Amino acid sequence: MRSWDDGKEEREESLRRLRESLSQSRNDLSRSWKIYKRSLLAILGLMMVLSVSLIAIFADDIAVEHPYRNLQDTEDKWSIDYEPRRVEPFSEECDWHEQKIVTNPNSPLFSETVVAESDDKVGDDNRYYRDTLSAITIIKIEDSQGYDLNSSLLSIDPDNSSILVLSPDLYSNTSLYAGVWVTYEFDNEAMHHWWLPDGYDVCIFGTNDQGQDLFSKVLYGARVSLKIGITVAVLTVVIGTIVGSISGYFGGRVDEVIMRICDIFFAIPGLILAMAFVAAMNQVTSLTTPVWLAVLLPILVIGSYSNSFLSSTVPKHGQTDSHVMSKLVEYRWWILLLPALVFIFGWSPSNLFGWPEIFELSESKIWRLTAVVAIIALSGVVILADKRFINNSSFEGGMERLKDSFDWTNPWRYLTFRTLAVFISLALLFNFSGTEGGDIVIIKDFDRLWKVQAALIFTGWPGYARLIRGQVLYVKEMTFVEAARSVGAPSSRIMFRHILPNAWAPLLVAFTLDIGGTILSASGLSFIGLGAEPGTAEWGILISESRRYFLDSPWLMLYPGLAIAVTVLGFNLLGDGIRDVVDPKNRR
Amino acid sequence: MIGVAIFTFAIAHIIPGDPAAIQCGDKCGLIVDYTEDGEPITAYESNRIRLKMDDPVGVQFWRYVTDLAEGDWGDSLLYHRPVVDVIKDAAPITLEMSFLALFIAYPLGIILGIISAVRQDRMFDHVSRFFAIAFVSLPIFWFAMMLQLYLATGTEHGGICDPIFGTEGGCFPIYGRHDPSYTYPEDGFYSFYPAGGTGFHLVDSWFVTDEKLATMPEEWNSNWLLFKDTLVHLALPCAALGIASAGSLLRYMRASLLEVLNEDYVRTARAKGLSEFRVVVVHACRNALVPIVTILGFSIGGAIGGAVLTETVFAFNGMGRVAVTSLQYLDFVVIMGVTLITSVIFLLSNLIVDITYAIIDPRVRLE
Amino acid sequence: MSEIRDDDVLIEVNGMKKWFPIKGGMLSTVKNYVRAVDGVDLQIKRGETLGIVGESGCGKTTLGRVLLGLIPITDGSVVYDGTNILDMANREIRKRMQIVFQDPGGSMNPRMSVRSIVGEPLMVNGLSEGAELTNKVAKLLDSVGLKREHMNRFPHEFSGGQKQRIALARALSLDPEFILLDEPTSALDVSVQAQVLNLLEDIQEKHGLTFVFITHALNVVNHISDRVAVMYLGKIVELADTADLFKKPAHPYTHALLSAIPEPSLDKEKKDRIVLSGDVPSPANPPSGCRFHTRCPIAEKGLCDVEEPTLEDLGDGHKVACHFPLGLGMTLPVNDDSL
Ligand SMILES: Nc1ncnc2c1ncn2[C@@H]1O[C@H](COP(=O)(O)OP(=O)(O)O)[C@@H](O)[C@H]1O
Ligand code: SF4
Ligand SMILES: [Mg+2]
Repeated sequence: MRSWDDGKEEREESLRRLRESLSQSRNDLSRSWKIYKRSLLAILGLMMVLSVSLIAIFADDIAVEHPYRNLQDTEDKWSIDYEPRRVEPFSEECDWHEQKIVTNPNSPLFSETVVAESDDKVGDDNRYYRDTLSAITIIKIEDSQGYDLNSSLLSIDPDNSSILVLSPDLYSNTSLYAGVWVTYEFDNEAMHHWWLPDGYDVCIFGTNDQGQDLFSKVLYGARVSLKIGITVAVLTVVIGTIVGSISGYFGGRVDEVIMRICDIFFAIPGLILAMAFVAAMNQVTSLTTPVWLAVLLPILVIGSYSNSFLSSTVPKHGQTDSHVMSKLVEYRWWILLLPALVFIFGWSPSNLFGWPEIFELSESKIWRLTAVVAIIALSGVVILADKRFINNSSFEGGMERLKDSFDWTNPWRYLTFRTLAVFISLALLFNFSGTEGGDIVIIKDFDRLWKVQAALIFTGWPGYARLIRGQVLYVKEMTFVEAARSVGAPSSRIMFRHILPNAWAPLLVAFTLDIGGTILSASGLSFIGLGAEPGTAEWGILISESRRYFLDSPWLMLYPGLAIAVTVLGFNLLGDGIRDVVDPKNRR
Repeated sequence: MIGVAIFTFAIAHIIPGDPAAIQCGDKCGLIVDYTEDGEPITAYESNRIRLKMDDPVGVQFWRYVTDLAEGDWGDSLLYHRPVVDVIKDAAPITLEMSFLALFIAYPLGIILGIISAVRQDRMFDHVSRFFAIAFVSLPIFWFAMMLQLYLATGTEHGGICDPIFGTEGGCFPIYGRHDPSYTYPEDGFYSFYPAGGTGFHLVDSWFVTDEKLATMPEEWNSNWLLFKDTLVHLALPCAALGIASAGSLLRYMRASLLEVLNEDYVRTARAKGLSEFRVVVVHACRNALVPIVTILGFSIGGAIGGAVLTETVFAFNGMGRVAVTSLQYLDFVVIMGVTLITSVIFLLSNLIVDITYAIIDPRVRLE
Repeated sequence: MSEIRDDDVLIEVNGMKKWFPIKGGMLSTVKNYVRAVDGVDLQIKRGETLGIVGESGCGKTTLGRVLLGLIPITDGSVVYDGTNILDMANREIRKRMQIVFQDPGGSMNPRMSVRSIVGEPLMVNGLSEGAELTNKVAKLLDSVGLKREHMNRFPHEFSGGQKQRIALARALSLDPEFILLDEPTSALDVSVQAQVLNLLEDIQEKHGLTFVFITHALNVVNHISDRVAVMYLGKIVELADTADLFKKPAHPYTHALLSAIPEPSLDKEKKDRIVLSGDVPSPANPPSGCRFHTRCPIAEKGLCDVEEPTLEDLGDGHKVACHFPLGLGMTLPVNDDSL
């Protein structure tokens, strides 16, 4: 048993290397910054992106109200009715409040006074509440036909500015039982922007038809858009990188199949595909994978992996020493094809050997977790066995190295890629596996925003796959990859240490540009009604909702659109700047 | 092609919505018929039988493919017409718009790109590059609406076209494909165009017969007036659609030309004392254009995708509108048809691009 | 092949062929092959240095890569120390045979430090880790004349000669028996070339290594190798002891190569330079008969372009593949148009 002190030397060594690589990356960064700084537009882009991000983060503090403040006439209270109004930007009328007062002789209790109440608000805990407003002046009074009435019919109670006093004239006027509308200015605590000087309490972007402050909605929209943009970009990059690097590295039939699939994606315009996909998912409430898929997929991947491995590296006269193994290898495709045929042509597997029952065994979390772990382990074993038999490589020392990676006397070790990957994948596994129901749940609340994201990921990955494949093919031909192979480095190391680190530069550019592109597509989807739920603080849906008032209230469309444009422009400029940085011509 | 067919089919089948259930709505439980041995058949079941949804996937797919090959793309549940007809009406509208947009965008982008490259790092270059990237960043639908607002409405709504184009009628039409005053109340504008025409009204307007023209109101009684009407209605949608393409083209053209300008043969041409204009236009541009051609294929796809948005804004009944509506009603047959036809168009245009490429670039020869 | 294998043969190459398929057309079918190496027989003796000379593109690098099993062989076999390398475990091959690449800069991952580059073989083979690895790397760097401080630098911070030293250190790290040097000096300045060559000789002596030294320049080979093989279009056209080859080259191609070596001496009368006419034919469709006949000044119609000469022994292990091998002191007719 090693003790803490035994690991001292290793610890120091790891630390030293860590520090070294940190200083290396710091040098790299400062050099990159120097190149980046040259372009004014790039700086502008960075600033735009930064400010949009800051807005998204601090939307709570900057906004004047919660974006989902519900201002509908939720309940027709006996005397107070509220009519939301669209108000122009910078209009004084933001502070105006319109109330319907029904002079109903059957409710003598409230007959002479009316409380100035704010409309419903949603608090941070999502509960509705009402404030009592204090009225400042009465602007006008209208009857139900819209004719002005004498403003002396109502007055503000001098003792309590929250109470409006009805004059006896009004009260006794039975022809006004249909109600009068009173507009008064109130002391709007809610519309007070801390970042505007006193006395400027205006809604700077106006309000929408629901009377909601557009400025707040646009602010919160930044949150939604950035979230969509970044999630989609990250996930497409991950998926695209995995698929593309498999395709590029192994070549052969796998490459062929993957590239054909990508071609299909490229043949259909992205937006139409995304639309179809969103519509397709409209019934889905949570994103799950059926267990059979989770089982079949890894098997398929392993199958094709080892197959192309076989066809690419091993000479014709195979030297697999085990007869059974070689037969297995030979007929692998047929073995895989069989269940596929069963699945496609009619026979449900259940009438063959009770396939579904096997999976229904298990509703418990533990079972599911075990199943997932078992599948992974099985895949690992198959890969290793494949390697052993086909590639004739031994894995002596592999166990030691694995143990070494988790050496408790040297915590710094855990910062290496391999161990981090293990930890992360364990965490993900635990997170995704084992929920109630028959399937593996990936996303629980699969709302419409998630659907948009899923659709954009679905349509986006082939682009990255192709990009990465090209890069991998390019880097793969470089001598240092062959050098690594000539010293016996395994495929995984070649991929992760040699090829990918030298292939990501164009990926970074594409990633940045893609965040902008995704924001555009997502808002486009929302615009045609396939994205965010109506009423959401999302830029696309804001524009779409504004179409009805397009001629009367163009500001409703102007500001969300500007927000999209600025954000996307920011990311595009940023991407351009990064392109200059990673361009080998500008390096050195 | 086959791949796309499989793909569209797969999408329609993975989609969890059940068309049989959607068609009968809340009347699914109604008994509409009885089998021979007296078992009741509900509306839902009869729908399933009619749509042949109980067959194995493979059989359904085979039927789909053979039908496709025979030109039978199925009947739309929503429009109650064959899908082929729906698409035949819709496709020319989208194509007319996209082609015209690219027709504007390409020369514009290329010329500005050339100027930008020649004046590298001067004011014009910076400004045009900034605008190029800004236009690429604009959401198409928003830009389209802004165009509507400013170029199609008078000052009372915040538009600017009044002072520029004079009063009454000085603005661009705000939406639609034709002026409503001559499409109604008669039996619709289609009747004026020859049956079996191209569907491109820019073309068809020249083939409207004199008798037809004679029946028209005064403002539309010549081919030219009809043509002008179509063109004016297309102006804003095309601008909205084309501006992003123009922006990205400018960027590509600039990069491509700058690369070519650094090549030896351009230096040689300069050294020979040729005028700068000749060097750039004759020697450099020809070679710089070669990579640009390849982008054409992709921009057609992009334009068709963008058409979904512009059509929504300008109320054109093109494929984009058809796609959106049919998606809302889960009319899969139409969705599959639209997806298929767009990919056919896309593949065709790429083929044409490849051929053009071979013609322009002497190094590539068709085998 | 004809000889009996004796103990001092380390590697035996029998009829090695490496054809790269050229794909094309719609379905990317194989249209033709690049016959990069097309039937090579060789024996490499333990402890010797075999030079392989030829113009670039004649298949030297490919020969080396097949020799090390880095790319699969198309036909023929490579027998290493009595075992076919196809039957050897990958790891064993890697431990016994190493390679130094033509382009020292390109053969190193620009994102890895020298420590990782040199230590990689040890690490991936599970031989050493952590602090121990650092020490070993330092020792290796020392043995090629670099300092311990260089360990944390990155490849782009080094000069060409230093990079080649690093590559050599990497090749040495697994303590192999055999190293293939693929044009190790052609990217270097002349003065640096000499240093590296000396270093190579020292190392060979110290570790008892067997070298295959690939180059396109005959004069380099003169210093270091014991035997020289001359390649032309994927085939060996002449194979002899170095001294022998330089004294009495038998193949017209060797003659041409020798005459191309610049001679600085003043006293000797100026030798006629034989400049070969025409370009090297494409290895995708090599000429019929003798591959050299399109450029050979003494080619004979009807024989050279029909019948392919085999590699015949002229005695003393001096082998040549030519229908009209030249004797001692014979010279070639000088092409007028090429002067
Ligand atoms: N991976 C490959 N694919 C196709 N052809 C190749 C490949 N590698 C080398 N070749 C071709 O094989 C021939 C020999 O190349 P090489 O061995 O590198 O020559 P040398 O090292 O003598 O300069 C060249 O014509 C080259 O184009
Ligand atoms: S065989 Fe003929 S062509 Fe070939 S080298 Fe000898 S003489 Fe020249
Ligand atoms: Mg070489």
